[in-house]
Amino acid sequence: MDSALRVVVADDSVLLREGIVRLLEDAGMEVVAQSATADGLLRSVVAHRPDVAVVDIRMPPTHTDEGIRAAEQIRQRHPETAVLLLSQVIEAQRVMALFQERPEGFGYLLKDRVLELDDFVEAVRRVARGGTAIDPEVVSALMGRRTEPSALDDLTPREREVLGLMAEGRSNQAICRKLFVSPKTVESHVNSIFVKLRLLAEPDDHRRVLAVLAFLRG
Amino acid sequence: MCDDLGRRDRLLNLFRISLILLGVVLGLVGCRIQVDHLHSTAARALAQTAAGWAFLLAGLVAWSRRPANRLGPLMLATAFALLLRQLRYSHDPALFTAFFGLGDVAFALVGHSILAYPSGRVTDGAERMLVVAGYAVAFCFPVATLFFYDGSPLLLYDPSPRESLLLVRGSENAVELLQKTQIVLFFGVLAALFIALIVRRLARAGPRGRSVLAPLLLAGVVIALRAVFECVFTFFDRPFALDTLFWWQISGVIALPLGLQAGLLRARLARSRVGSLVLELERTPPQGLRDALARALDDPTLELVFWLPERGVFVDAVGTPVDLPSEGGRALTRLDDEGGPVAALIHDPILLEEPQLVEAAGAAARLALANARLQIELQAQLLAVRESRSRIVAATDEERRRIERDLHDGAQQRLLALALALRTAERRHHGSLDPEVEQLLAGAVSELQDAVRELRDLTHGFHPTLLAEQGLEAALASLSARMPVPVEVRLQLVERPEPQAEAAAYFVAAEALTNVVKHAGAGTVSVVVEQRDGLLRVEVADDGIGGADSRGSGLRGLADRIEALGGSLVVDSPAGLGTIVRAQIPTRGAAA
Repeated sequence: MDSALRVVVADDSVLLREGIVRLLEDAGMEVVAQSATADGLLRSVVAHRPDVAVVDIRMPPTHTDEGIRAAEQIRQRHPETAVLLLSQVIEAQRVMALFQERPEGFGYLLKDRVLELDDFVEAVRRVARGGTAIDPEVVSALMGRRTEPSALDDLTPREREVLGLMAEGRSNQAICRKLFVSPKTVESHVNSIFVKLRLLAEPDDHRRVLAVLAFLRG
Repeated sequence: MCDDLGRRDRLLNLFRISLILLGVVLGLVGCRIQVDHLHSTAARALAQTAAGWAFLLAGLVAWSRRPANRLGPLMLATAFALLLRQLRYSHDPALFTAFFGLGDVAFALVGHSILAYPSGRVTDGAERMLVVAGYAVAFCFPVATLFFYDGSPLLLYDPSPRESLLLVRGSENAVELLQKTQIVLFFGVLAALFIALIVRRLARAGPRGRSVLAPLLLAGVVIALRAVFECVFTFFDRPFALDTLFWWQISGVIALPLGLQAGLLRARLARSRVGSLVLELERTPPQGLRDALARALDDPTLELVFWLPERGVFVDAVGTPVDLPSEGGRALTRLDDEGGPVAALIHDPILLEEPQLVEAAGAAARLALANARLQIELQAQLLAVRESRSRIVAATDEERRRIERDLHDGAQQRLLALALALRTAERRHHGSLDPEVEQLLAGAVSELQDAVRELRDLTHGFHPTLLAEQGLEAALASLSARMPVPVEVRLQLVERPEPQAEAAAYFVAAEALTNVVKHAGAGTVSVVVEQRDGLLRVEVADDGIGGADSRGSGLRGLADRIEALGGSLVVDSPAGLGTIVRAQIPTRGAAA
């Protein structure tokens, strides 16, 4: 296991925050600070320079978008700290704007996702490493929204499924496990997606992100 | 009783005829005396007399047409004073003494008549004082002059001497001093004050007042001319342009009573307009009532207010409470019926001088006013109901928001925390637990998970935070993103609508989209929101099976909500041809 990830957790619900902290510590991470407010979160990010901040979107005083604003500031001033936003409802627009600006080290999950303990811990790790994590429900919501024709129409249903999982932030191995197919099959799907979205010329990591962005933009 | 009235009328007519005869005879006698004893030309003598006759004529007409107005009798008195004044030129000592002593009172009466126009009363303090001063000067100085007049040539006359029956001690100097002082006081000081007061009255009057007071302008000019004439006559040895001045001023004096009387008749004309008001009002809608009254009373500034007994206030035609004028150039006439006040007229104070006119107009309009008041009362109630409806909607929205927040920050988080705790416990003790307990734990977690999800869906439908925070566009985007069918959203907003309208538009879209998903079996849906002409138009159209029931409780509730805001909701859903839900929501636009 890598050297313990350093995490701050911000959520105004004490019970839930402590549950998340317990979960992350059980998974071997070091929770360096907890906070119930956006201001407290920003202070502890400055103080501890954590690898990742797990942030509830709705926090005092207005219980509206404090988390999003805090995330904007963290990403601007402390790009080395990844941000995983948690929200009770899908508020895709502003969050996805943040994501499209710079997908690296960013995640957005519905809060219920914490109950999938392994998936959640994995998402925190992935984001901390500079990867992405987008809630499947958000992904499918964005997929359903699409009305204009685009290159995505050329994808087969299976390829679209794979791309959706890529958008959630999953690696090829994870996709293999999820779809019960061989790594080779996944790889050929991914390549086919790159071809259809005309992304073959790009470096591998980059085109993966570009594909996801194309997907999320519709 | 009819006979009594007839007899009184006959007596009155007889009286009037004898007044005319008396006036004519007096005038002719005066003419004769002027020609014989003053050696005036016949034309001049006749012109002087004509001034008296003009007052006689005008006074009689005014008196018969407006019996309640004292201006008629006042003008008649002036007429006889003017006619009698001519007798002062007689060589007969008694006539000379009587009418030299009292004759100038005629001038004071002329001034009094003018200032009493149009009501017949002098109400203003300054004007009253001026009238009294006029009488005093016109009486005291000539009488005093008679004490000293011993036959020496009087300033104003031919050289032939008269005999004063009041002579105490003859003094030519005293006579000259008194005469000149009187002219200066009367035609200098008092005339100047008089003109100033007329100008003041005209300046203070409203539009209606000015048209009524127009004859006063003539009066001002006449008095000025007369004053110049008297001063020139008195103070210059060889008066220049005296003849011209004489004819100008005497024409003015003759025209003056006719002008005053014409002014009174104008008000009389207004009265006949009031007479036709009853007929006119039968065809006048309540909104036209004020205009009709303003026309009938010839006061374009007239305001009409209605008494609302329930609220105990006067309101205007659209039901807004009105403050009644306490002072400051506006007058108030209340129109009552047996049950108390019905309405009130706020008008030019000049109308107070003709209370009968205003009352007649009020009486003519009473029925129409009562009807109009009922309508306005109804309107005011409707307004109140509409306002309370929209307050209820606003309160409901606020309540939804509060519930949403409470559930979100309270129950949802707790349930989730509980589920997480159970799941973590399960994980930590995996394998060491009784399989039955493990199964129970798993079941509990999954139940809690469902509960959280259900709560989330429930609260989201209540009042989306996104709407309050970021407005319609973001909320609709998020809404359509959650729909399992593709939704095309087109939005054209000029400015952000106020929260109530915004919420209504959102709920229309949300309810319509929910129905589409549940019932329509549609392939595509479009949501179009446009802001135009103070209306927020929402249209949700799908290509589904149609046949939607607009009376479904969801849409019915929405229609209520939108109608409370003064808008409308229409569902067009022919079987097989898709469904279109259209809403129009009035919006004022919010500064947010």
